[in-house]
Amino acid sequence: MKRAADVTLVLVLLLASAAALLAGGPAATPADALAALAGGGTQEARMVVLGLRLPRLLLGIGVGAALALAGAALQSLLGNPLADPFLLGISGGGAAAATAAFALLPAAALGLVPAAAMAGAAGATALVWWMARGPLGSSSTRMILAGVAVNAAASAAILTILSVAPSPRLPGALAVTMGSLASANGAAVAWLAPYLFVPAFVLLLHGRDLGLLATGEESAAALGVEVGTVRRRVFLAAAALSGGAVAFAGVIGFVGLVTPHLCRMVWGQSTRRLLPRAALAGAALMVLGDLVARRAVAPAELPVGVVTALLGVPFFVVLLRRTS
Amino acid sequence: MTLLAASALSGGYGGAEVVREVDLAVAEGDCVAVLGPNGAGKSTLLRLLAGILPATSGTVELRGRPLAAWRRREVAQAVGFVPQSVSFAFPLTVAEVAQQGRAPHLGPWRPPSPHDHAAVAAALGRVGLAGREGAAVQRLSGGERQLVLLARALASEPRVLLLDEPATALDVRHQLDLVAILRELTAKGVGAVVVVHDWNFALRVANRVAVLHGGRLRAAGAPEEVLRPELFRAVFGVDVELVERPGGVPFLVPRA
Repeated sequence: MKRAADVTLVLVLLLASAAALLAGGPAATPADALAALAGGGTQEARMVVLGLRLPRLLLGIGVGAALALAGAALQSLLGNPLADPFLLGISGGGAAAATAAFALLPAAALGLVPAAAMAGAAGATALVWWMARGPLGSSSTRMILAGVAVNAAASAAILTILSVAPSPRLPGALAVTMGSLASANGAAVAWLAPYLFVPAFVLLLHGRDLGLLATGEESAAALGVEVGTVRRRVFLAAAALSGGAVAFAGVIGFVGLVTPHLCRMVWGQSTRRLLPRAALAGAALMVLGDLVARRAVAPAELPVGVVTALLGVPFFVVLLRRTS
Repeated sequence: MTLLAASALSGGYGGAEVVREVDLAVAEGDCVAVLGPNGAGKSTLLRLLAGILPATSGTVELRGRPLAAWRRREVAQAVGFVPQSVSFAFPLTVAEVAQQGRAPHLGPWRPPSPHDHAAVAAALGRVGLAGREGAAVQRLSGGERQLVLLARALASEPRVLLLDEPATALDVRHQLDLVAILRELTAKGVGAVVVVHDWNFALRVANRVAVLHGGRLRAAGAPEEVLRPELFRAVFGVDVELVERPGGVPFLVPRA
């Protein structure tokens, strides 16, 4: 049954990816897109498929996998099913810095927005870590409380910036808070892919440790986990993944929170087995969400963060009802 | 051969010392019962012995080498620790919890081998949970959860077993099972340290007793030498009567 679920997951991701490349407006119909992928087709179709849809697909896969992986790792690390990059203030810190950059930077420097988002996410991470440190080291509860506080501060900062931002910059700043893959391009993908690889590897390396940490720090230490080292590495890696996601796609809710839970329901609780599947499922959810965002009200676009939340909330309700 | 030895061991939380200058050695086949009033430092001593709480002074040696010189995973391979309870954030099954006991032997990537699966099955069978592998551990009773945690430690095939009040939630049948399990293990040369509140359980299971009071070792030695009415009056503030039973373990009864 689990093998069948593995195959289904990969198939869903492949089909969603194919649909994301083929589906679209008159500039590249499915037939045009197929021809372009085969190396032929019109110049316009090649530009749309290879220059726009392919980077957008790859960005969606990277961002979805990063968020789901970060969420799954944080939930196990903190022994809290509600933990995710958003709750811990990491996404919020990145988004606050990105909206500020959109509002304040001169037009020529808007390319620095992803860097600002990364810096904001790193700053929020450092702040949460510092706030959570008590006389006995940082506990899970303190970390979540610190994250909630940082998230609240980031939300307040974002609202302040949005209310005073010059109107020509408002759409860009707003897009950060709603999440969007529309800014995808080859350069962003080329930059993001290797950047995501290292923290993702760190999390997969500590999969077994994370499963033990989900039963408490004392219990994990007794089973051979170097709790301090693993917690530092995992938190930094999860923050790096979340920062990368928010830098290129803004705040995308529920992927980091819901995907790991959906995977737990299918594949069980072994964190070592869960992490790679959560990454694939996050990628699939994101690609599907973006497909809906692009096509539901075409030629207009919905923010992908709204779509993933709309897809995620019903799943979350079912999950809560089932586990209550 | 001495497996685990504490000398002048002190430690606690946030600068407050809970355990002070305790000397304690566990040899192969030893079962040491640690007794003492609430707050005497029994659980803290166990954490210090397991190395999951760093000592503020003094040392713990595992097979003659300080704990700090071992890697955390190597310690976990040799020392099994059964906490009083564990919080389960996710709905793990009985088998999933027991399998965690094999983690120190597996490392980050290696999947469980047939030997790992056999050790888990044997441990679950030994505590009477065979057939309950798929049960959600969050739905079990307190006593059953203690058995799952015991199985997890047994699955790791430890040389030393540290148990924090393993019998408190167990019914009398399972308490006797636990006594039998500890006797089997010590007969095989495993060393055990058991924190208990039940003096009679200690008399049944332990070949040595250590009594903690205010974080210090008040008395240590053979149970019949240590567990005297004078000590109970001094440490617990209660009068007890030692009821000798011909051919059996003596029995301690508090006087109301």
